[in-house]
Amino acid sequence: MKPGVLAALALTWVAARPAWAHKPSDAQLRLAVEGDTIRGRLDVAVRDLDGALGLDADGNGEITWAELSASAPRIAAYLEHRLVVSGGDGACAQAQGTGALVALSDGAYWAVPVSATCSRTPRAIEIGYSLLFDIDAMHRGLAHIGGQTVILRDPAPVWIALDEPRSFASFASFVKEGVWHIWQGIDHILFLLCLILPAVFQRRTQRWAAADSLRDVCKEVFETVTAFTLAHSITLVISAVGLLSLPQRFVETAIALSVVAAALNNILRTVDARWAVAFALGLLHGFGFSSVLIDLGLPSHELIGALLGFNLGVELGQAAIVGALLPVLFWIRRTLAYQALLWAGSGTVAIIASMWSYQRWVG
Amino acid sequence: MLTPKVAKVERGRRKLAVLTLGAIGLAAALTAAALAAPNRTTVAAAIYVPTDPGYVVATVPARDPAEVAARQALAAAPDRLDLAVELARGDLQRYRALSDPRYLGRAQATLGRWWALAQPPPEVLLLRATIEQSIHQFPEARADLDRVLAARPDDAQALLTRAVVATITADYPAARASCAAVARLASPIVVAACEAPLDAIAGKADEAYARLAKLVSPRAGDAAVRGWALTELAELAYMRGDTAAAAAHASDALALDPDDAYARNLRADVLVASGRTADASQLLAGREQIDSHLVRRAIAEHQLRGPDADRLVAMMRERIAAAAARGDRIHLREEARFTLDVERDAVRAVRIARDNWRVQKELADARLLAEAAATARDSAAAEPVIAWRRSTGVHDVALDRWLARLAAFEVMP
Repeated sequence: MKPGVLAALALTWVAARPAWAHKPSDAQLRLAVEGDTIRGRLDVAVRDLDGALGLDADGNGEITWAELSASAPRIAAYLEHRLVVSGGDGACAQAQGTGALVALSDGAYWAVPVSATCSRTPRAIEIGYSLLFDIDAMHRGLAHIGGQTVILRDPAPVWIALDEPRSFASFASFVKEGVWHIWQGIDHILFLLCLILPAVFQRRTQRWAAADSLRDVCKEVFETVTAFTLAHSITLVISAVGLLSLPQRFVETAIALSVVAAALNNILRTVDARWAVAFALGLLHGFGFSSVLIDLGLPSHELIGALLGFNLGVELGQAAIVGALLPVLFWIRRTLAYQALLWAGSGTVAIIASMWSYQRWVG
Repeated sequence: MLTPKVAKVERGRRKLAVLTLGAIGLAAALTAAALAAPNRTTVAAAIYVPTDPGYVVATVPARDPAEVAARQALAAAPDRLDLAVELARGDLQRYRALSDPRYLGRAQATLGRWWALAQPPPEVLLLRATIEQSIHQFPEARADLDRVLAARPDDAQALLTRAVVATITADYPAARASCAAVARLASPIVVAACEAPLDAIAGKADEAYARLAKLVSPRAGDAAVRGWALTELAELAYMRGDTAAAAAHASDALALDPDDAYARNLRADVLVASGRTADASQLLAGREQIDSHLVRRAIAEHQLRGPDADRLVAMMRERIAAAAARGDRIHLREEARFTLDVERDAVRAVRIARDNWRVQKELADARLLAEAAATARDSAAAEPVIAWRRSTGVHDVALDRWLARLAAFEVMP
């Protein structure tokens, strides 16, 4: 084989086997405004500083604390020269403090306190960031400011507006997600259906008969739905804030089992108080909702808004289903069709949900 | 016995009590949420100052005097393409040895002066393609390789890289053409290794295995070529369901180069497939810096309920979050696998696996999407893989099993 090809193959090996690894080079810049001052900290990987400044004095591949502290003045000069934080609309006096170490998931970072004292309260932050780009084209600065993260990918100054009024759009999007989730979540819908199916057919002391007034039916359904809502709201909040988290496999299986229980209850008539069933089992469904909310990337600074919005969406979605169904059920309550729906429907749901339970458990 | 009316009142009170309790619970939970909220912001980690001057803060590649000299020479004469290319090659070698993507960015920066030219020199285009391919920018890599080959049709490096990129993006005729062109320039084992994944995908894994097995001998090619051929052999054996042979080939490849992350992953996958999850975890222990090792080890320990499971799972979540913060979507294969096996969120895993399939179409990606779709019982999501299998004629034990399971769901009411 030609030598050229051999050399080439060594490179192809790299090309052929992309084993992406480690974190790429990121620096973290956290800033917050306190009165007239912007305060925060910059964390830069020690390995990156070595690339830029050559910290490994003896060249043995190990950067010791002695080598690092000897280079501290050079690091400070580099960072002061390449990071400019200002208030955007007024002059700010910038200062960087003494560096120390911080252990992040991919190794040691050099952490430097950063502050900029401005002549008036900043309404925006301007960041001029030109670290490392000249030696690592894939380096990124990640500026975290009041819940938002801005990616700094080149030395062009970035302008970040503060106190951007949290738009209604965001709340509305959580409402939408809530509606969407309940409509997509066939297990939640079936659970609710099982609970309201028998509402038009009530127990009178010893026997069962079709309900007389739509008002009574609505009242009972309202109670059931409210109990379900309260229960899943509680667990949704508890798990969304991370107070308690259960493995998804358990939650999903339990939700499927709750549908089995609700369906069987329609056939066996063990528990009359369906609002109690709705409450007890509704607790499980809240855990299921929260995984969706967490997937959406729950913004910490508007946690409550997001929770309320999502929950409101779930309720609206529920109300729409119930509202559409209840009049129909009431209308057919004395017919054979209703009996068929109640018995055969509940039976089918119990069977399907049992299969889900099994599949969700075995994964 | 209670009269109906009293019973009704009694029930009403109970109901009221429970609903009140519920309302109180909700209020308490919301308060807790308000209190817990600040903790969820990205909190800066605590700083420390070592007391021991000899404390090793970080390890980096030991200084290479030749590299230092070349950097100084390039700084003095920034126009010297030969120096920049040599330095960028060195960065790519370090990327290869350490699996640290940092060195890809350094190679790019070293070539900065030529990188964004309308007509970069062919050697820069070739390096640029290698970097693009490493960060999964396959169409860009392909375009650059086609340009290199237009200028230098006999560039074996470009031909082999083009074959790899074309295979990953399912352009099999182009990959075949590149492997065929290599035949004039390299030994038969290189050509066989180049064509092995193509034959495998074309449903001719048995023939490809026999051909390559005959060519792999201790005297064939250099260690890199042999290692490459051995991993291809292991893949072929794994496809055919011969886990014993797959394990042996992967071990041989690993013995040639313990830093070969690809061979190590392959060996771990084969171990898991033959029920030796603990051994797979052991094989990857201490190498969690590499994402593809971390994800496998996290899954293995999670399944074994090992003492390290929680730490590894947290690490992987952190890694995924860090990539998302940068806006990177390079980890899709690992992320989908983790979402499926550890987070057990099949619906989300399907979404990620589908995004991944848009970028790369290797057998592992097909298996992943099929498995996620089967777990989520979402046959529509597997359509692209079903179509791919039909058009290629590929036969793979794992893929066939997942697609069969998916078909079984469809039959069920």
